[in-house]
Amino acid sequence: MKDIQHLLRVAVIFAAAIVGFLGIRHLLVPESFGKYGHYRAASVDEIAALPMRYAGEDACKRCHSQQAAEKAKSSHKRIACESCHGALLAHADNPRSDVKPRRPKEAEMRAFCGRCHARSVSKPAKFPQIDLAAHNPDAPCNMCHQPHQPM
Amino acid sequence: MFDHSVIPALRDALHLVTGFIYPNELELQWSVLIVLYPYITGLVAGAFVLASLERVFDVKVIKPTYRLALLVALAFLLVAPLPLNMHLGHPERGFEIFLTPHTSSAMAMFGFVYIWYLMVVLLMEIWLDYRKEIVLWSRSEKFWPKRLVYKVLTLGVDNISPRSLEIDDKVGKFLTVVGLPSALLLHGYVGFIFGSIKANPWWSSPLMPVIFIFSAMASGIAGVMLIYMFLNWVRNVKIDMPCLDMIAKFLLTAIIVAFSLEMLESIQTIYEAEEHFDIISLLVEGKLFVSMILIQILMGSVTPIILLSITQLVSLSEKARKFFYALAGSLALIGILAMRWNVVIGGQFFSKSFLGFTTYKMELAGREGLLSAITLEVLPFIILAGLLYLLPPWEKEESGTAANG
Amino acid sequence: MRKFTRSQFLKTAVGAAFVAATKAFAAPLEAADKFFREPPWKRKKPYWGYAIDVTKCIGCGRCADACKNENDVPREPFYFRTWVERYILRRSGEVQVESPNGGIDPWSDIQDPETVTRSFFVPKLCNHCEHSPCVQVCPVGATFKSEDGVVLVDQKYCIGCRYCIQACPYGSRYFHPVKHVADKCTLCYHRIKRGQKTACVECCPTGARMFGDLSDPNSAISRFYEYEPTQVLKAHIGTEPKVVYKGITKEVR
Repeated sequence: MKDIQHLLRVAVIFAAAIVGFLGIRHLLVPESFGKYGHYRAASVDEIAALPMRYAGEDACKRCHSQQAAEKAKSSHKRIACESCHGALLAHADNPRSDVKPRRPKEAEMRAFCGRCHARSVSKPAKFPQIDLAAHNPDAPCNMCHQPHQPM
Repeated sequence: MFDHSVIPALRDALHLVTGFIYPNELELQWSVLIVLYPYITGLVAGAFVLASLERVFDVKVIKPTYRLALLVALAFLLVAPLPLNMHLGHPERGFEIFLTPHTSSAMAMFGFVYIWYLMVVLLMEIWLDYRKEIVLWSRSEKFWPKRLVYKVLTLGVDNISPRSLEIDDKVGKFLTVVGLPSALLLHGYVGFIFGSIKANPWWSSPLMPVIFIFSAMASGIAGVMLIYMFLNWVRNVKIDMPCLDMIAKFLLTAIIVAFSLEMLESIQTIYEAEEHFDIISLLVEGKLFVSMILIQILMGSVTPIILLSITQLVSLSEKARKFFYALAGSLALIGILAMRWNVVIGGQFFSKSFLGFTTYKMELAGREGLLSAITLEVLPFIILAGLLYLLPPWEKEESGTAANG
Repeated sequence: MRKFTRSQFLKTAVGAAFVAATKAFAAPLEAADKFFREPPWKRKKPYWGYAIDVTKCIGCGRCADACKNENDVPREPFYFRTWVERYILRRSGEVQVESPNGGIDPWSDIQDPETVTRSFFVPKLCNHCEHSPCVQVCPVGATFKSEDGVVLVDQKYCIGCRYCIQACPYGSRYFHPVKHVADKCTLCYHRIKRGQKTACVECCPTGARMFGDLSDPNSAISRFYEYEPTQVLKAHIGTEPKVVYKGITKEVR
């Protein structure tokens, strides 16, 4: 026994280290860890609680029912308001906020509409496309087409 | 603090992309620090294998390097986790790997393999081997802080009866037997970190852990051999030539096996020529030509094999042999570093769309720059110097010879 | 301790041998029955899935832009939770792919259009794989698949080792330059939990993108999964993506 005393001391040190580690581990592992799987369950709620930026079409309709009704009858009926007008939850929550709907200026309009409607072999053939250079090159789109009732 | 330097560098990198990469692939995720990590762990595993050869397989002739090999392994093992932790986005959260290790993650197992290997195997083995000296030094040492360290290391037991030393030897031998698979596991697992990534065909291979193990042996053996030669030169002590010759034989074997496995894997890749083959051949012919074909294969594998083979086939003078060994060992070490580079950095050059390449420009300063890398390469040697000061490995041979003689 | 007699031992041994023999006969036959594995959305409610109809995509890039707005994704052209690629297949067999600023910036003009056999846009995002390699490799459990089938990142727990980025076959993850953690598409988890559409689906003008509850057999997404000719990306690696594509060609990776 005397001749393995030093080994026993090592064993005690290791045992103490393991117990200490388990104790510290018990204190530091986040509370909700492992509730559903190998992750912190609370993080799911944290992610779900992040703020939104896009309000969704229903929010727009509450105030802008006339435009919504026009659009609903047009070929743009499946396009959400914020697809063109930008992220507007802040505007929906408070119309006086600094966040204003995007309305392309006349000079930008051909590029803006062209983003979808400029002719390209990569686009589905059925999709309405025009040759920007040939199709009334100097006119802003809304001279003939109203975005909420384009055709 | 470091993040703001990333964006301008990446903006520049945008112009250096060739072909198509997924947009998120512009940033090369694992830097030079992750090249060092398998390199350093490899040196640990290799040095330990060399020590085990003496202890487990009774290759008595290499005894003069037994303790040195253990100390080298310890010095490098202490540094091994540093590049990993320095590379983390949140180093302060690194301990989570011990709190909630994910059992399906190769990386999570690092913590456990590392602690097991460091605490149970390496420290215990060194301690048991040195215990007699530690007790004697704790009595005789004049310089009091050093004496205090020895006193602490005795754990307050200064029993060095023949029976207790006999027990130490038995336990030590048992630990080496356990340690050998542990060393291989430690480095095999490093290979598995890469080998298990099915998203990356340059890494994904069941041979990866095996190749890592054998190249680790080559690097560790070469490292211990060079350190042994250097130390004897500094101390002006004659090199034990039979020992050095034997180490060189082991080195040759390890390089041959590692190189053959690497080539087998390449042949397999070329022969199967899967979907990713085009991009990989472009990678090897282009961005990796210097570091892989020239440095890793020709300079780091073929040349050392030729040099060491010459020493086996032709009888050379002692001086010539020493020169050949030193040259072959150094080249092998450079070649293995290049191999780690080619695996880690090379595997990130090509897009997982197999349609293009991104770039990597190592920064100079900065947390993940060249200077950090050099520091991390030098640090183990500083630790080793400290260990050699505290636990001189040569004392035993001399006192041993005296006792025997 | 109970005595173990020789006859008892023999009985046990014969019994064990019998069980093993029966198993040896039955196992090869039973294996075929085990071939079918029920997808989790038959058991869990809700369970989110996503679909992309490439034949409807016009490459407007609204989705990639909306995603950056909604999720505070850095505006640099090398951080994306979703992006759009344009494939150009030429008669020579050449495949050209590009994604200028993830499809947010204008597409370049196509050179030599007469040699183009086919061209189309492929929106990409996290595939929310059923067997996610990123979840598998995360050392600490900071990335995981939620109960409703969405692969998420716990930004407070991620240590930033970037292993998941390496493990993703689709390039869907990036390292957030400010938060120093891995980041990726959450399927706008904060929106879908509130009954809203994801930002990309909300802003897609042509209905090329859709998402929904796979556990509801009558949902549009379930019908799309069941009736449309769909494929997934890199099916051979066995990640089982829950983003399915209609209308892609063999060149798409």
